[in-house]
Amino acid sequence: MTLIADSFIGGTFLKREEPNWLMVLKIAMPLCLSYIPIGLACGILLHAAGFNFLLTLLVSIVVFSGGAQFLIASLLTINAPIISIVVTLFFLELRYALLGSSLSRYLKGQSQHFIWLFSVSLNDENYAVNYLKFATDKTWTPKQALMVEHYSLLSWSVANLIGSLIGSALTIDLEIVDFALTALFLYMIVMQIRNRMTLLISLLSGVLAVAFMVWTKSTLGLVLSTLVASFIGFLVEAKIRKGKGRLSDHWLFGKVRGPAVTRKTIEDKKSTES
Amino acid sequence: MDSWDHFLLIILAAIAAFIPRYLPMLFFSKREIPEWFNEWMKYVPVSLFTALVVKSLFITTAGYHFAPFAHVNQLIAAVIVIVITYMTRSMALSVILGLVAVFVITMVM
Repeated sequence: MTLIADSFIGGTFLKREEPNWLMVLKIAMPLCLSYIPIGLACGILLHAAGFNFLLTLLVSIVVFSGGAQFLIASLLTINAPIISIVVTLFFLELRYALLGSSLSRYLKGQSQHFIWLFSVSLNDENYAVNYLKFATDKTWTPKQALMVEHYSLLSWSVANLIGSLIGSALTIDLEIVDFALTALFLYMIVMQIRNRMTLLISLLSGVLAVAFMVWTKSTLGLVLSTLVASFIGFLVEAKIRKGKGRLSDHWLFGKVRGPAVTRKTIEDKKSTES
Repeated sequence: MDSWDHFLLIILAAIAAFIPRYLPMLFFSKREIPEWFNEWMKYVPVSLFTALVVKSLFITTAGYHFAPFAHVNQLIAAVIVIVITYMTRSMALSVILGLVAVFVITMVM
């Protein structure tokens, strides 16, 4: 719970507590808003690919992935067979295995039912928000994280539905709308770069992503580059830890002047304590 | 394809989307996660997000070719987004001004 207002009444401060759902909604709001243009575009595209509004609503709920739905729409318009659409989609969605694993340490001790509910409504963007919250806010709970997922799912599927309904009346420039996702990811990258090492791993992953995607001719390249780049980061860090003991003494782990410098993360605190 | 084919496609797509999300999370939320795995996963988000950005900026969707200057408008807008994030740390401002930037640049070019 955070405090939004301190009202000065009768000489004492009365602290008014904001309800939990509203606090989480405020955190999820930028995400929900950025989903609207993309969701509309996705609905329009799925309409053009031959989905009626019920099918569009269904796919936006059960698949809940911008990339996957854009892929379904574009493969349907070139009359690709169902099985090849599903296989391509599976490789595109493989990255969630990594996202799920990296979040799982914050979800220890949750019930089976919770894990199921959490994983079905997981996607890139709400993962990014939750990861950032879990890493920077000690009071952030799995329940609140699930709430972020549900808010984003709601705005995504409503935007898809509206897009599908207005689909026949509108044409839009998809390339521009698709940039909302890129901007969101760029934001996440900048916010996470805390030292030279993260910056180098990010650059390495970018180079590897080009190489692997050109090589595999598929989004499997995304998974490969993520695996290799993060593993190299892990190896280098382990090697330095072994040789020197304190990570913060090494030049690779020197702070980068960035937005995150002003904000302490839980990991930062741990490293200064130990 | 008729609506039934589309329905079948959605069900299969839902399964394909569900398996990679659910199984690793189920596995790791019940077991003690080894320290090295946590250390490794620390670099996953930044690597994946960079790869996704690189894909949308430098890779053509048809054929997966490397096309460094195919989206010059988005490249300029990306730099603007980075600067805005650096200065404001606001997700909403970064995304919205990024969209405005790419729209304006595309109109001008």
